[in-house]
Amino acid sequence: MPPFLDALLALAMVALAALVLLDRHLVRACAWFVAFAVSVALTWWRVGFAWLALLELLLGALLTGAFLFYALDVKLWAGAPQVRLARWRDPVPLTWRRGLLRLLPALAVLAMLGMALASLADASGPLRAGGLGLIGLGLWAFALHRHLLRRLLAFNVIGTGIFLILMGLVGDRHPAAGHGLVVTGLLVALLGTALGALLIRRLSGLEVRSVRSAARAGRGGA
Amino acid sequence: MIDRLGLLAPYATHLSDFSAVMLVLGLPVLLGVLAACWQPRRSWPIVAFSLLPLMALAWLSFRVLPQGGQTWLIELGSLTLQWRANGLTLLLLLLTQIIVLSSAAYAPAYLREEIGSKGQQIWLWPLQGILAASLSLIWLAGDLLTLYIGLELMGLAAVGLMLLPGRVDALAAGMRYLLLALVGSLAFLLGIALLLGAWGRLDLVGLALAAKPGVLLWVAVALLSAGLLLKAAAFPLHAWLAPVHASAWTPVSALHAALVVKGSFFIVLQLWLVLVPEARVAAWLVGGLGGAAVIWGGLLAWRAAKLKDVVAWSTVSQLGYLLLGFSLLIGTAPSVAEVAWEGTWLQLAAHSLAKAGMFLATGNLIYSTGESHVRGLAGASRRMPLSLLSFGIAAISLIGLPPSAGFTAKWLLLHASLEAGYWPWIAALALGTLLSAAYIFRVFRYSFVEDAEPLDYRRVPWSMELFALALALASLLLGLVAEWPLMLLRAAGGGA
Repeated sequence: MPPFLDALLALAMVALAALVLLDRHLVRACAWFVAFAVSVALTWWRVGFAWLALLELLLGALLTGAFLFYALDVKLWAGAPQVRLARWRDPVPLTWRRGLLRLLPALAVLAMLGMALASLADASGPLRAGGLGLIGLGLWAFALHRHLLRRLLAFNVIGTGIFLILMGLVGDRHPAAGHGLVVTGLLVALLGTALGALLIRRLSGLEVRSVRSAARAGRGGA
Repeated sequence: MIDRLGLLAPYATHLSDFSAVMLVLGLPVLLGVLAACWQPRRSWPIVAFSLLPLMALAWLSFRVLPQGGQTWLIELGSLTLQWRANGLTLLLLLLTQIIVLSSAAYAPAYLREEIGSKGQQIWLWPLQGILAASLSLIWLAGDLLTLYIGLELMGLAAVGLMLLPGRVDALAAGMRYLLLALVGSLAFLLGIALLLGAWGRLDLVGLALAAKPGVLLWVAVALLSAGLLLKAAAFPLHAWLAPVHASAWTPVSALHAALVVKGSFFIVLQLWLVLVPEARVAAWLVGGLGGAAVIWGGLLAWRAAKLKDVVAWSTVSQLGYLLLGFSLLIGTAPSVAEVAWEGTWLQLAAHSLAKAGMFLATGNLIYSTGESHVRGLAGASRRMPLSLLSFGIAAISLIGLPPSAGFTAKWLLLHASLEAGYWPWIAALALGTLLSAAYIFRVFRYSFVEDAEPLDYRRVPWSMELFALALALASLLLGLVAEWPLMLLRAAGGGA
C-alpha cells in the first residue's frame, strides 16, 4: 500500500476531527463527526482490520451519530432542523485559571505519551501519527469547551485516537487482545455518548420547563 | 506480593468450580432484572433471594479455600482471559454481597416513603445487580482486559444510579461524574495500550515477569494510576465526590462510598504490586497524598454545613488511610509489608461497612427531620435514638476507637509506619483520628441541643433502621473477630 495514500488518509482524519471540534455550528459539527467516523473506518479497512472498520461504521458513525443528533433534537425526516438547540452548558464556569489547570495535565499526558512512543522505536506509521494528532486535538477541546455536547465529541475523538495508537502498537502480533480492548472501548464510548445525549436532552427539557414556569410566575405576580 | 494477590494460584481442574464463579457473577444481575419486573414492596423477599448469591459464594469458598486459591483460564476464540480467586478475593466478594444486600433491602421502604413516585425507580434494581457483578469481576480479574471491562461496567452503572432522582441537580452532578469517569477510563485504556504494545500481553502474571523498568513502564503506570485515582476520589482529585452524593438517593450513596471507590483503589494497588513493586519513592509520594487527604478531608468534613457532605468528605479522609497503607506496601521490607497488607484490607472492609451504615443512618436522620443541614438536627437525640445510635456505632469504627475493626486496621497501619520509619505518616494518623472525632462530635453536639423548637418528626420505618444498624454493628463486631478476616488474608498464598 502506498505510504502517500496512508499519510493522506491520516491527514484527512485529523482535519475532519479539527472540523468536528472547531465548527461553531453544533449541528454541522455533529455532521462532521459522522464524516470523521467514516474516515476512521476507512483507515481501519486500509490497515487490514476489516472487523473494526465495520464496527466503527456501525457503532461510531451510525449509532453515535444518531445519539448526537438526538441530543440536538434534529430529526432527519423533519427537513430543516428545529431551532431549539440544546444549550446546556457545564454549570462550572470556565475561568482562565481553571482552563490552565485543565490544559496542564493534558499537555503532560501528551508529553509523556510522546516520550513513551519514542522509546518504542520499532513500529511506526500513519496510525500512530494520526492517533497522536487526534489525542492532542481532543484533549485541547475537552479542556477548554464548556458545552457538554462538544465535550462528548472531544471524548469520542480522544477515544478514537487511543484506539488507533493501540492497534498501531499491537499490529499483527497480538490481534486478539487488541481487538478485545478496542471493541470494549467502542462499546463504552457508545454507551457513554448515549447516556450523555439522553442527559443533555433531559436537562434542556427541564430547563425549558423551569424557564416557562418562571415566566408564568412572573406574569402572575405582575 | 504477587502470590498474596493470588495470581500464582494453581489452575482449576474441575469445571464445577467455574460454574460457582458464574453463579456469583450472574445471580445479582438476574435478581436485579427480576426485581425490576416485580418491584419488591418489602425487605424480606430481597433478603431471602439474596441468600442465593451468598450460597453460591459459600460453595465457591468451599471449593477454593482448601487449596488456598485457584485460577481459571477462559478461552474466547484466540483471546484468553484469566480469573482467579483466593482468600482476599473471597473476602471482597463477601463484603460486596453484604453491602449490596443491605442497601437493596433498605431501598423498598425508602422508595415508598421518601421518594414516592418521583424518579426512575425501576432502574435501581438491575443497576444494583450490574454494579455487584462488575465489582465481583474486578475482584476476580487476573488480566487487564477483564479489569477494563469490569471497571467500565462499574463506572457506567454508578453513573446510571446517580441519575435516578431525575432532578436538575442530580442530572448535572451525574453529567459531571460521567465526563470524569469517561476521562478516567480513557487514561486507563491508554496505559493498557502502552503495556500491550511493549510486552504483548495482558495477563498480570505474565506482565510481572516481562515488564522491564524504563520510560514506557513509568508512563504507562502513571497514566493507569492517574485514571484510577481520579475515579477513586484520591486527593487532590476528590472535588467531585461531595456534589455527586448530595443529590443521590441514600442507598446509592451508601453503595458508591462503600464499594465503587474501593474498586478503583484495588486495581491501582494490584497494578503497582505487579508492575512496579520496588518503586519506593513514587509510592511514598502517593502516601504523602494520602496523608494530605486524611487531613484535608477531615477539615472539609468538619466545616461542612450539610449532613451528607460531612459523610462524603469523611470518605475522602478515610480513603487517605488506604493510600497510606499503599505506600507501606510498595518497596518496603517484608516485615513492614506484611503488617501493612493486613491493615490495608482490614481498613477497606471496616470503612466499607461503617460508611455504608453511616450513609443509611444519615438518610434516616434526613428523612425523619426533613433537614439536610447539620444544624437541622437540633433536638434529634430525643426523637431518633436508634438512628443516632447507628450513626454513632459507625463513627466508632471511622474514628478508630477500640474494639472496632477501624481501630485494629489503624493500629496495624501505625505499627507498619513505625517499623518502616515513616514518621510523617504517624502524625497524619494521629491528626486524622482527632479530626474524625471532631466532625463526628460536631454532629452529636447539634443533635443533643435540648432547647430547640420541636419540629415535625416522621417515624422512620423499622427496616430502614434495621439495616443501618446492622451494617454499623458489622463494622464494630468485625473488630472483635478480626482474626477471622486476617486469617483469610494470610491464607491468601496459593503459590506460597
